[in-house]
Amino acid sequence: MELTNHRRSRTRRLIFLLSALTALLLLVSFFRITCGDWNIAPLRALALLFGLADEGGSPELLVVRSLRLPRLLSAVGAGGALSVSGVVLQGLLSNPLAEPYTLGIASGAAFGAAIGFFLGGAWVTPASFIGAFGALCLSWFLASRAGGGATAYLVLAGIIVNAFLSAGVTLLKALADDRLGAIVLWLMGGFAGATKTGAVAVWIGGAVVLVPALILAQELDALSLGEERGTLLGIEERRLRLSLLASAAFATSLTVSRFGIIGFVGLVAPHLLRLLLGPRHRPLLLASFIGGGSLLAAADGVAQRLGELPVGVVTALLGGPVFCWILLRGTRR
Amino acid sequence: MSLQALTVAYKEATVLQEISTSLPEGHLTAVIGPNGSGKSTLLRTMAGLLPYEGSLTLEGRELRRWKRRDLGLKVGLLPQRTIVSFPFAVCDLIDLGRLPHRQSFERRRRRDDDRIVEAARAVGVEALLFRPVTELSGGESQRVMIAMLLVQDPAVFLLDEPTSALDPCQAVRVLGLLRHLAREGKAVAITVHDVNSALGWADSIAALKDGRLLFHGTPSDLDGSILEEVYDTPFEAYRSEGGKTLWRALSLPS
Repeated sequence: MELTNHRRSRTRRLIFLLSALTALLLLVSFFRITCGDWNIAPLRALALLFGLADEGGSPELLVVRSLRLPRLLSAVGAGGALSVSGVVLQGLLSNPLAEPYTLGIASGAAFGAAIGFFLGGAWVTPASFIGAFGALCLSWFLASRAGGGATAYLVLAGIIVNAFLSAGVTLLKALADDRLGAIVLWLMGGFAGATKTGAVAVWIGGAVVLVPALILAQELDALSLGEERGTLLGIEERRLRLSLLASAAFATSLTVSRFGIIGFVGLVAPHLLRLLLGPRHRPLLLASFIGGGSLLAAADGVAQRLGELPVGVVTALLGGPVFCWILLRGTRR
Repeated sequence: MSLQALTVAYKEATVLQEISTSLPEGHLTAVIGPNGSGKSTLLRTMAGLLPYEGSLTLEGRELRRWKRRDLGLKVGLLPQRTIVSFPFAVCDLIDLGRLPHRQSFERRRRRDDDRIVEAARAVGVEALLFRPVTELSGGESQRVMIAMLLVQDPAVFLLDEPTSALDPCQAVRVLGLLRHLAREGKAVAITVHDVNSALGWADSIAALKDGRLLFHGTPSDLDGSILEEVYDTPFEAYRSEGGKTLWRALSLPS
């Protein structure tokens, strides 16, 4: 009976928290759609957004529907995808500090995309995929040969691959000549040039990692207990690990190829939400998608207000102190 | 579970050699032996975690032919050490033991909650059900892991040093519980370092040395010469107040 009451109160808490996060997302969205360099009255902006003001071809309509909406959707989708990828990687590696950078996935995507810049714009996304999966395969191969695929070896191999590919990106930057400006700007991360296609891409990436992770959330709980725990509970552990890692790599590569390297979202949002919700993956994944999306959309708003700063700078500036607070809180406990 | 010429090797080193024996239902078997003798490897192999040569059958079927999920229903292993990185509530952690019995989106049944409470009570952690497991002591965590194994409810229980982190009182509780499971028809195997504990609680003793099975028999068949051969040191028998024969090592291994 006590256990039933405990579960009921936890469900109530989850509903409250998800509602609060959704309200936060709607609030951030409201500001992102109605506020900007071009002053459009909030009600009018909303009317234009939902097609209630029939003014085909007006510049205000263009600003709201073709600039602000894709930018908002891109930031929310990218934040959600990165945050959920962070949760999945943390669970799979039983490591609360894991994120898309840990296994060299983000650096692989960046390296591939940088090569794509050299080959021509159309190559950026496919090259980014290849880079992300290449980095994942390389980390997996190194870990398998060194320690039978043990997660500790996977993290170590990821650090090596990450360092190597980051150096590769720096080398490409140095060789880029006239394309240097474009590569540097893209690497810093941002949503200034967001398009509808970019928004669709990151939402697809988010869905690819969120849906299987939600379905397999209980299995992910078991895997997060450490190696072989999943196997002992009847899970095809190696297969599940590889497929979820691949889906996280896919989501990350889509985000990086479109909007550059945006750090800390995959770390900060899951950590904050884990403090509020506990480590069970099903509620955490849902909350992380909404929370990560809100966080990145808000950070993008701040970045825009400060004169189109790279959004990665804002997430790091916000995320760093939050992370220190989490760390110190944990130490005191 | 039946083992025939079971051999296990890590890379080039052979860890278990030609082991032939069985793990009968209704028996609590204690596996003893010095450090590095292959006790943990034996349990991990029987849990389907390691590749092997020879034959290892469960219900007449070779272990490597079992599907992983089916094996999760039949065999449960408590590893020697588990470090939980995330602060799962004790009740959620114990509940994960039901995973082999559930589909991915299947709702938790009322009966599952009853099982969690029963298992927690059996190992004395019912007061800790809502605490984060990361805040528990080593012994409390160990008992939570045993509770998780209890709700998994396999036919074969394998426990690698289940009492190593427990105080004497909790160790007796857990050993008594395991003997009770054996009496209910489960096959139970544990590794232990305390020979007297093994003799006091187990129905049969398996003694390993350098990956070989030196002895498998009843506690009454075990004598000082076998212990001396297993541990490379002389053992002396003495009698407790209850009249039981107990053993103690007399010197360091030769």
